[in-house]
Amino acid sequence: MLKILLSLGLLMGSLFAKETLTIYTYDSFAASWGPAPLIKKAFEKKYDCKLKFVATDSAIGAFRKVQLEGKNTKADIVLGLDTNTAELARKSGLFAKHHTDTSKLSLPIKWNDDTFVPFDYSYFAFVYDSNKLKNAPTSFDELANMPKNFKIIIEDPRSSTPGLGLLLWVKATYGNKAGAYWKKLAPHILTITKGWSEAYNLFLKGEADMVLSYTTSPAYHIIEEKKYNYKTANFKAGHYAQIEIAGMLKSSKHKDLANKFLNFMLSDEFANIIPTTNWSYPVVKTKKGLPKAFSLLYVPSKMILMNGKTVEKNRKAYINEWLKALAR
Amino acid sequence: MLKIDKLIYNYKNENEYNFSLDAKRGEIVGIIGASGNGKSTLLDLIAGFLKPTSGTITFDGKNLSNLPPEKRPITILFQNYNLFEHLSVKRNILLGINDSSKKSDLQKVRQILEEVGLNGFEDKKALTLSGGQQQRVSLARSLLRDKPILLLDEPFSGLDFDTRVHMLELVQNITKTKDICTLMVTHEIDDCKKIADKSYEVKNGKLTLL
Amino acid sequence: MLKEYWRFKGSLIPGLFVSFALLTLAVLLFLTLFGATDANTTIFGALNQRVIGLLKFTLFQATLSTLFSALLGTLLAWSLAHQPRFFSRSLLIALFSSSLVLPTIIVVFGLITILGRNGWLNHLSNYLFHHSFEGFLYGLSGILIAHTYLNASFAARGLLHSFESIPKERYKLAKSLGFSTFKRFVIIEFPAIKSTLFSISSTIFLLCFTSFAIVLILGGNPSYNTLEVAIYEAVKLDFNISFALELAFVQLSISVILVIFSSSLKTSVSNIKMQESVIPWRDAFGVRVLQKITIFISGLFFILPLVAIFHDGITADFTHIIKSVVFIKSFSTSIIIASISSVITVFFTLFLANSKRNFALYYRIPKSGIGKLLAFLISFSGTLYLAIPSLVLGLGFFLLSQRFFAPANFWATFALLSANILMSLPFSLSVLYPSMLKTAKRYDKLCFSLGISGYERWKYCEWPYLKESIGYVLALSFCLSLGDLGVISLFGNQDFSTLPWYLYGLMGSYRNSDASGVALILLVLVLSIFIFVPKLFKGDGFAKN
Repeated sequence: MLKILLSLGLLMGSLFAKETLTIYTYDSFAASWGPAPLIKKAFEKKYDCKLKFVATDSAIGAFRKVQLEGKNTKADIVLGLDTNTAELARKSGLFAKHHTDTSKLSLPIKWNDDTFVPFDYSYFAFVYDSNKLKNAPTSFDELANMPKNFKIIIEDPRSSTPGLGLLLWVKATYGNKAGAYWKKLAPHILTITKGWSEAYNLFLKGEADMVLSYTTSPAYHIIEEKKYNYKTANFKAGHYAQIEIAGMLKSSKHKDLANKFLNFMLSDEFANIIPTTNWSYPVVKTKKGLPKAFSLLYVPSKMILMNGKTVEKNRKAYINEWLKALAR
Repeated sequence: MLKIDKLIYNYKNENEYNFSLDAKRGEIVGIIGASGNGKSTLLDLIAGFLKPTSGTITFDGKNLSNLPPEKRPITILFQNYNLFEHLSVKRNILLGINDSSKKSDLQKVRQILEEVGLNGFEDKKALTLSGGQQQRVSLARSLLRDKPILLLDEPFSGLDFDTRVHMLELVQNITKTKDICTLMVTHEIDDCKKIADKSYEVKNGKLTLL
Repeated sequence: MLKEYWRFKGSLIPGLFVSFALLTLAVLLFLTLFGATDANTTIFGALNQRVIGLLKFTLFQATLSTLFSALLGTLLAWSLAHQPRFFSRSLLIALFSSSLVLPTIIVVFGLITILGRNGWLNHLSNYLFHHSFEGFLYGLSGILIAHTYLNASFAARGLLHSFESIPKERYKLAKSLGFSTFKRFVIIEFPAIKSTLFSISSTIFLLCFTSFAIVLILGGNPSYNTLEVAIYEAVKLDFNISFALELAFVQLSISVILVIFSSSLKTSVSNIKMQESVIPWRDAFGVRVLQKITIFISGLFFILPLVAIFHDGITADFTHIIKSVVFIKSFSTSIIIASISSVITVFFTLFLANSKRNFALYYRIPKSGIGKLLAFLISFSGTLYLAIPSLVLGLGFFLLSQRFFAPANFWATFALLSANILMSLPFSLSVLYPSMLKTAKRYDKLCFSLGISGYERWKYCEWPYLKESIGYVLALSFCLSLGDLGVISLFGNQDFSTLPWYLYGLMGSYRNSDASGVALILLVLVLSIFIFVPKLFKGDGFAKN
């Protein structure tokens, strides 16, 4: 009798004690319409485990949450930071090295980070409505020289990753003259929002002629809304890339499973989910290929990406320069 | 006998009040004076709403100065807001005594209403009464409490002439039959002339016998 | 002296207890945050040039916003008071007060639909005059317009009460003395509304001073930021908690100054509405036209953005929205949290106001230094939310949750409830305190001499006069809780989400149609609660006088 009970107990235990992997990420990734539910389903099936996504307001928010929780954190992985904020996270010393073979990555750059693994990427770009705007600018200079009532909406680099991306993009393009360029651009900036969502919603309401978003944004309108009028302003000199990354925490009690997840991010299954849920490019080429709508998107001829260490070292100074240039 | 002896009250160190007064049972004492001279302060001190700086209030030899208002042998009729308009006459009269309506209480209420000339009014809403009737109900409530000192704070000033005369007579009647001590604050010298046994005038925080 | 305090222990203790509990919570939050900093914290370290610049602009912006809100609010209240038979007046009044409790982000997008660069106004003007006002809604003007939108209507509602409780005899007297409309305002009306106007204005000032979402969306320039943005940068990007704390102290000091200022104002006691609200004075034709135009234009200004929210949301696929599990979860969490926090808010407000009035009535507790201090502490504990930046509040709660282990979602619930209660207290106190002061002034002597106290006093001389205000406060704090987005950001996860949090998530991932639909659901919810809950508490007529 005791034996039966014991074995029943063990059975029950094994049923309920499935290993759980916890991932902190930003809200739209974890949302019911985001990639998280599909990834959860696929990963749980493959490795007979449980996968839990915890959403915070932003990727930095997710990382700060881990930092605040310290050793007690339930997180095994932080997912959603990008190369611009990677150094900030690396400095914390909370992240462990990964064991993922990154050779099969198909990124516009060579990846040699030993801590963080990329899972998707896109390029920052200005999105416009081609029904309203015929001649979109093809460079930053053209943008600044648009007619007086031509307005754009950008995000604040202090609270949003696209905002920081644009700041670095301009910095990489103009160097010492970045401040002067911002001064020239200032009259065209309708407003600067806290996050991407406010900016994009204002743009969709028709408030501005262009908004800072991604080269992949039009794909959403094509696939979900069958609208072909949203296009990106293509800058000949190149576009700044955003490569989103994930990293495993040293404090994780499920390092094995965490490593499996980081590997899983480079699988076909994961790569097929990304385009139509996170509206960006996957980091590996799959057999199935990208959705048809993606072929209509502009692929920048040149990618711009600042070194993460440079970004971290100069971020404060760049932001101050930006603030000073725009100060009234 | 109510005796007020050098009752001193300082307000913001500016005005000083210094009151002395005595009143016997069965006596109506009138207190007149223009507003702002300290009439209300005097009543507040006697009733216990204000704490005097020094001096004593005694009644029949017992010191009242340290008692809270509800423990003093005093009932008050205010100028207004004596009744809760959303309650019945009966409820208003029994306020603070008893929340349930026992039969014996009801009997008492009927009897007391009769004394103030409001037979059969016990179930009416206070809201439906005229000003004079409302003050009668308030008076009835004071009487029910059977306390030997009655303070009147210009309770009849809002009433028309005839009603006021009736109320004054009622007060005089009650004071004599119940052998209580009534202090009547008013700004009408006529009221005092009509029913007061003696009158004081309040001026600059002091009382002078007229 | 102790004896006097002891006599009023029944009313003093619960309020003081609530007040000290709230203050302790605040101190605890700050201490926890201090524990998390390693650098030496100096308050003056925070005052670098940039912060001083922000502070200057914020003070400037808040002053102007308050001025405009007070002016428009007064004009509107005055017009409404003199136009008692204006078409659908009571509905208008209910709508006016709802703008304060709608989630800011929804209101802002409603405003943009009307006044934005591509808004209805510009379309109309383009069609009629071939002229566009362009992006006048962005920049300082936008901040001022949005703040006026949110606060003028709140002010108008409070002031209308003051106007309506002016004794009608005064109007008759003024008329018989041949006063002009202007002289009537200066001599009769302004003195009557003055104290309400000042106390409402100081609340509005604090609201504008701490405003976050509006300033960020409409400001258009980093120079037009508030202190909260600097705090956001310090917490999120630099993870410099000690700097964030220093900034929080700057905000705290300004709030303390304001609370001291506003508690030195006498509270208006004429705040219980008269039964008959028709003012016996027929204004001249021109004045009547002015009043009607004021109400009409303000009505349009306040209602059109709500119409816009309705217009944007009505085409959404509601069956799809309602079927979503996350929506149902967020919806029920929001409703539960809002119900609990609004009920607690009412009780806390009653306790605090009941305690505070002891110090305002010289015959209860004579004026003294200690009395003043306690009265200040009570007032201050009621305005804590405006004194502490919500980001700092959220961070403090999060660190507390790390230090003291509790079952899942306990801390999230606790933090959300506390934040909601703290958020509603300034408004509920400003509504209930004057009324409670009035009932005390009216019935104290009667109650003391008859020995009426405790439940009996509450039942006969407080509840009948307060119930309408209580209904209003209940609706107000329910809706405020429903719209809150401040504290949840660190606690939210798929098991714990609120409606605004869900809405924000939708907006962040191209789901515009769903977002507009959810915004409409929130709007309808808030409006119906605002209109129907106070009705449940309507008096029987005589309680008003």
